[in-house]
Amino acid sequence: MEKISNSHSKLLETKNDFYKKLLFQSPDLIFQFAISKEGVLTFPFLSHSVITDFNLTHEEKNGDAFTVLKSKINQDDFKLFLETIQQSKKEMKPWSHEFRSLHPEKGERWYKGVANIELENNGTYNFIGKITDVTDNKTQELKLKLSEERFQFALEASTKGVWDLDVLTNKVFYSSQSMKMIGFEEVDTIDTINKWDDRIHPLDKENYLADIQLHIDGKTSFYENLQRVLTKLGDYTWILSRGKIIERDKDGKPLRIIGTHTDISIQKDKEIELVRTLDIFSEQNSRLLNFAHIVSHNLSSHASNFKMLLDIIEDETDEDNIDEIFPYLKTSSVALSETIAHLKELVEINTNLVHNKENLNLKLYLDRVFSILSNEIILNDVKITNKISDKFTLDFNACYLESILLNFTTNAIKYAHPDRNPEISYSLGIEKNDVFLEIKDNGLGINLEKYGKKLFGMYNTFHKNDNARGIGLFITKNQVEAMGGRVEVESQVNIGTTFKIHFKK
Amino acid sequence: MKFNTVFVVDDDKIFHFIIKKLLITNNININPSYFLNGLEALEGLKNKLNLGENQPDLILLDINMPILDGWQFLEEFKKLKDKLKKEITIYIISSSDNQTDLDKAEVYSNEVKNYYLKPISVDEIKSIFLN
Repeated sequence: MEKISNSHSKLLETKNDFYKKLLFQSPDLIFQFAISKEGVLTFPFLSHSVITDFNLTHEEKNGDAFTVLKSKINQDDFKLFLETIQQSKKEMKPWSHEFRSLHPEKGERWYKGVANIELENNGTYNFIGKITDVTDNKTQELKLKLSEERFQFALEASTKGVWDLDVLTNKVFYSSQSMKMIGFEEVDTIDTINKWDDRIHPLDKENYLADIQLHIDGKTSFYENLQRVLTKLGDYTWILSRGKIIERDKDGKPLRIIGTHTDISIQKDKEIELVRTLDIFSEQNSRLLNFAHIVSHNLSSHASNFKMLLDIIEDETDEDNIDEIFPYLKTSSVALSETIAHLKELVEINTNLVHNKENLNLKLYLDRVFSILSNEIILNDVKITNKISDKFTLDFNACYLESILLNFTTNAIKYAHPDRNPEISYSLGIEKNDVFLEIKDNGLGINLEKYGKKLFGMYNTFHKNDNARGIGLFITKNQVEAMGGRVEVESQVNIGTTFKIHFKK
Repeated sequence: MKFNTVFVVDDDKIFHFIIKKLLITNNININPSYFLNGLEALEGLKNKLNLGENQPDLILLDINMPILDGWQFLEEFKKLKDKLKKEITIYIISSSDNQTDLDKAEVYSNEVKNYYLKPISVDEIKSIFLN
């Protein structure tokens, strides 16, 4: 009996020893924390690691636990710490809480405490549990949370769209901005790659596939492609798509590609507008050059006529011969005045940057021109087809419009084909939101290959016609351009000429 | 006489009159043919060739003209050159002192002997017809 109790107590002793070692020497921070019925806080037990980790003195270890906790736990976390203790005491539920504390060597650390709670007969609550240093996990978690928040913010705040392609499934994450660019509801979407690719303009598709292949083959450090993409509304928008493979399998095949979409239609529109403006400027420039040329040529030819005629008069003694010269002087002087009037008109068109524009009814103005030209129309038996709706209006200078319509109509009659009655038709056309007036005749036609460059030049005529002066088209073109429009011409010799007058949109 | 048959090609009828007058007052006994543009002159030249008439030995040529201008006339003239029986002297008489026109005259240096700027003086007329 004694032997048994002996061996029993020995076994017990060994077991106790083991627990003691486990408790005191384990690197885990093990504690017992008690709240007496009177509300006094103590630490009946603290493992060795707790004492060293928190650098506790003998007095602290055995003294008032409240003071120790208050001095060790981060001030911002202390209140919540106490509250969770109270909570778990009230509900008799296991305690679990995370808090910060200043480590004597490592600085501020995050700890997680867990404990079971039990109520003794004397009314003391006992918390028995352990504390773990979770700083590493915690910072990792924080970092992740921050970067995720940052990413989400970037997605929402950015004007760029983000896409993320899973190559194996061909599924793509499209951010809300990407969806918005092509006219869909502004929400993040996961869909097939075809959702986007099927909308790429057929003319851009080849380049797009080539660009992505270059990147897959490692020839470019990132993929970049400028593409027109069909929006839900049915028009195309310019999008710059960029991306990079961020994951490949062991054979080097891409698994995941992430990239951005940038809507550059505004830049693209501006670019187109810029090119147009440049065109206008170079046009204006060449018109100025043409103008300088005209001034030097036309004025100096009159001046030299005067000089030569006067030279002859100076040398002439015979009165009759002198009288013979005077009509020529007079003709020269009339021609000079006429040239000056033309030049003055041109200067006015080209320098008046602000022209008086009104909303004009095109049909009304055409009818007016027909009545001005009614004699010529009847005399030449001109057949006129007017397809202009009486509703159509345009913003234009009234004098210019009349002069333009008059000039084109007169030209069509003047250069009619001798073998047939002149026919002129007027209609409206539309080209890229740009409305134009088409004036088509069945006249002589112009060899554009030969004379195209000079067609709108000053004093250039191409037909053997007594009243061809070659000034009309030049002024007409200037008037149209001063209004921001342009004139196009198509013509075939012996078939006819079509002028297209584009008004500013 | 240095020249017998002369063409004056200019769209300005006043210039025709001036040449006529200058020839008379300077006792140059020549009666030129006058043309209003390059095409008329070209047709006149072809006519003379076809009819076997005396071809001109001098052409006074303006540049800025309707239908066929001076340069276009010279281009057509080059094609006819082989058919000509004798050399034709061509002078440009133009009011254009534009550099591009002056440069262009260099291109036709085989055809164009000289470039006179309007107004043309009596001395220049004399040097063309008499010296």
